Parts: sequence; structure tokens; C-alpha cells
Amino acid sequence: MAYIIFLGLFGLVFGMIGVASNPSPYYAAFGLVLGAASGCLILSGFGITFLSLILFLIYLGGMMVVFAYSAAMAAEPYPEAWGNMSVVFYVLFYCVVLGMGLGLVDSIDVLSIVGEFSVVRSDWGGVSVLYYSGGWLLLILGWVLLITLFVVLEVTRAVKYGSMCL
Amino acid sequence: MTLTNLTIYSTFMMAMAGLTLHRTHLMSALICLEGMMLAIFIGLALWCSQMDSMSLSINPMALITLSACEASTGLAILVATNRTHGSDLIKNLNLLQC
Amino acid sequence: MNPYALSIIMSSLAIGTTITLTSSHWLLAWMGLEINTLAMMPLMIKQHHPRATEATTKYFLTQAAASTLILFSTMINAWSTGQWELKELSTLPSNMMTIAIAMKLGLAPMHFWLPEVMQGLNLMTGLILSTWQKIAPMTLMLIIFNTLNVNLLITLGFLSILVGGWSGLNQTQLRKIMAYSSIAHLGWMMAILPFSPALATLNFLLYLIMTSAMFMMMILLNTTKINSLTTTWPKTPIMTSISMLILLSLGGLPPTTGFMPKWMILNELTKQHISTIATMMAISALLSLFFYLRMAYALSMTQSPNQTNSTTTWRHKSKKMTILLTATTTMSIMMLPISPCMTPLY
Repeated sequence: MAYIIFLGLFGLVFGMIGVASNPSPYYAAFGLVLGAASGCLILSGFGITFLSLILFLIYLGGMMVVFAYSAAMAAEPYPEAWGNMSVVFYVLFYCVVLGMGLGLVDSIDVLSIVGEFSVVRSDWGGVSVLYYSGGWLLLILGWVLLITLFVVLEVTRAVKYGSMCL
Repeated sequence: MTLTNLTIYSTFMMAMAGLTLHRTHLMSALICLEGMMLAIFIGLALWCSQMDSMSLSINPMALITLSACEASTGLAILVATNRTHGSDLIKNLNLLQC
Repeated sequence: MNPYALSIIMSSLAIGTTITLTSSHWLLAWMGLEINTLAMMPLMIKQHHPRATEATTKYFLTQAAASTLILFSTMINAWSTGQWELKELSTLPSNMMTIAIAMKLGLAPMHFWLPEVMQGLNLMTGLILSTWQKIAPMTLMLIIFNTLNVNLLITLGFLSILVGGWSGLNQTQLRKIMAYSSIAHLGWMMAILPFSPALATLNFLLYLIMTSAMFMMMILLNTTKINSLTTTWPKTPIMTSISMLILLSLGGLPPTTGFMPKWMILNELTKQHISTIATMMAISALLSLFFYLRMAYALSMTQSPNQTNSTTTWRHKSKKMTILLTATTTMSIMMLPISPCMTPLY
């Protein structure tokens, strides 16, 4: 299990370096997919299986599809992948920064508590607590989702400006 | 500080540095924001599991709900920018400079 | 905008600030800030012209990054101390929190978004942005004031006063000038915050009153440039003199209200034996005073060189509601005599 967690941590950092090094949005979205998948791996490695499933469904299933679709807005004739000069430079830069960060931390404790798989996990129970006694919090979350709907509709309303109007 | 904490903190800092230092596309700025949210989500879920308390697990759920809202608003703004500016390049957003 | 959508969005704007103000858990405070930001978007982009879209984009990116940073610092705090209480911050999270909130408020090294965003909005939204949207982050700052780093706050404050005065000198657009004025005022609050949060609150309240008076004056006169300020006289003759007084109050000249917070802050800083910083702050405030004076000069000391061809508009009965303008104007001009009543409170 420790190997899986280590693999996940490695994938998370390097996925995020891939995002941060300013490639074209197609590849940046790919880097985020790598990061989110590694995140799922970490969470399930620590035994937080339900939140891992939620992360998988929402990030990879829902949001990343929309992001990959929206990357079409940023289409370029010659997309820059991680092989191009500028991106390679930034990848190296971030790797150096990461190494310096590792050097600054005086002691790293490799031990971490890994929960074992069991039928009832506290995270799974916790999500049902939100519905059972969430109360105002649940109401606020629902309200936020509602106003997001209004906000998105108002922001993207068709007007007579721009390139995509009818 | 465990290796896990260090990884999550440095993931967040990478994404934040990427957002602030250099972006060509608005789209990849939004992806960086999502990366920051991802790092916080993982850190929060691990924190709740370390505390091993049932009611604390509400926090990551609330977080991911709001981050989904923020991502969708960001994409809506991307569409609006594309309408008015013709592309989503950050360097085109220069109408309001002094 | 559809009135139903507008009502939902305005109420969410209120709800967001209220949630932040009433919460004692960092996650709830963060949710309030997020709701605030989300609800502000459609108001800003209402006209859908390129400048409004650009302002919305810039606002979204800075606010989202800042609130994510707030959440990250509270997460570090939770990992190291194990709780989410609003008042208990350790050193590293409190420094990150200061920087994040300063970015939300638009303080000096992170201030570049504020004038540009302000320039893309209409005046009513600009009023909301420079008053209502400052309440939630400022309240968070006031709640956590005793865990903050004094040197960081003084540096932020002094830089804001200096930058706010200096960059405003070059502007002719009223909204940008108001943005720089807001930066300078927030700098005064940050400088006094670690020593006397009550004075910072007083300064914040007076800032809200004076800025709303100024913005409502601009809405009434329908001006966004110094040029068009000179045509105030045919619109409302009485406002030419009154708005000059509002401007002097913003600058902090003695017989007006704006003098009270500056006076008390300088007094308090001198009591704390940091009179060097206090002197530099007072001198930097002169930079702000210069552009207020220039606006006042254009507004009431000069007249438009050409005669009006039609009936002057003040002869017509205006349908604009001016009750709030009256109240805030009176308060921003004439509250200095009650400052002895303020001092025992603090």
C-alpha cells in the first residue's frame, strides 16, 4: 500500500508541474487528469475510499470532460507540448524549485498512518451526516449551486458582441 | 511534517506559482485554479481521515461543491471572453490598462 | 437583467457577506467569500461589452486565487493545530492569510487588479465593489488581528498609502482615481490594525460613508472623467460646492469628517513610538490630497468655457432618488465635532 501511495504522490506533483509549466491547454488538461487520478490513488491508499470515488466521479467524470471540451476554445495551430523549449525550461525551473523546497525542510517523516479497508468508514458516514444533520450547511450548498446556475446563465447570455453570436 | 503533507503543500505552491508567473491562455489559468483546489481537497480529506471523526468529513464535500461552482463560473467567463475578445489569450486582456 | 435573477443575485451578495460575518469556522467564512465573488460576476458583466468582460475576468482570477490561498492557509493551520477556529492561527498561516486578504482587498503589492477592474464597471457596480465587497475581508482581518505580524501589516499599509497616492496622480478617469483612493484608505487601516482595531473599524466605517457619498455624487452627475466634472454647474449648482467638500473630506482636511481617523491614527502611532512611520504616512497622504484637490479644482473652481445652448438641466425636476446621497454627504462633511464622543470608546 505504501508503494501505491508513493506512486500517487509522485504523480500528483509531476502532474501539477506539467500543468504549471505553461503548455497548451490540451496538455495542461491532461496534466490535471494525471494529478486527479493520482489523487484518487492517494486517497484510496489511505483508505478514504468514498471521497476517492467522489473525486473520481466529479473531477474525472464531470469536470474534466467539460474542461477538455472547453479546451477547444483555446485551439492553436501549433500546440506546445512538454517537448518544446520554453515548456522544458519551465519544467526544469519547477523541478529545481521543488528540490530547493525539499532541501529547506529539515526533516521528513516518511511514516504515515494508513487505514485498513473496512465495511464502515468514517468518511462514508460523514457524507451521510451531511444529509442527516447538515441543516444550514446543506441549505447553503444548495443555494450556492442555484446561484451558480443563474450566474452562468447571466454571464454567457447571447448579446450582439463578439465572434460567436448568431 | 510527513512526506504526504510536503507533497500536498508543494503541489499547491506549484499550481499557484504557475497561475501567477506566466500564463498564455485563460483556459490554462483556470486549470491551474482547479489544480490548487485539487491539492486542498486531498489535504482536507487526509486531515479528516487522520482525525477519524465522522462529522469532519462534511468539509471535503462542501469544498468540492464550491470548487465545482467556481470552475463552472470560470468556464462561463471563458466563453464570455471568447465572445468579446475573439480568443482566450491573456495578453489580449489589455483594454483597461493605464 | 431579469428582475428575478437580479433579486436572487443581490440577495446572494448580502448572504455571502452575512455568512462570513457570522461564522466562527474558517470553511464557512471561505464559503461566504466565495458566494460573494460568484454573486458579483453577473453584476459586473451586465453590459456585456469587452471592457466589462475583461474586468470580470480579472476580478474572478484574483478573487479565486486569493480565496483559495485563504483556504490553503487554514488547511495548514488545521494540520498543525488541529482546529478550524477563526481566532487561532499560528505564525505561518497568519502571514499567508494576511497576504491573501490583502489581495482580496487590493492592498499595495497586490493592488494592480483594482483600478483596472473598477474602470470596466458602471458606477453602481463600482460603488458595490468599493464598499460592500470590502466588508467581508476587512471583518476577517479585524477578527484575527492579534495573531497577525505587525511588521508585515505596517509594510503593507505604508506601501498602500504611498502607491495609492502616487499612482493616482497620473489619472484623469474618476473610477481609477477612486480605486487608488480606496487603496490609500485601506493602507491607513492596515497600518493601525495591530495597535488599535477599534480605530481601524472607525476608519473603515468613515471610508464606507465617504466613498459612497462620492460614488453617489458621480452617479447623480453622471460623470466618469475629470473633463466632464467641469460641467457640473448646469446640472446641479448646489452639488458643485458640496462635492468639493466631500473631496476635501476624502483627502482628510480638518473641518470635515475625513480628518478624524487620520488624526486619531497618527496620535495612536505616535503613542506607540513609531513616529517615523507616522510622519512618512502623513507626508504620503499629501500625494492623495493633491489629486483630490485637482478634482475639486476642476469641479468647482472652473467653469465650462462654452455656454449651454439649451435650458440648464437643474430647472427640470430630477427623478433620481437622493435621500442616501443627502445622508452620506452630511455624515462625510460634518462629523468631526463628535470626535470627542468617539475617543472614550477607544
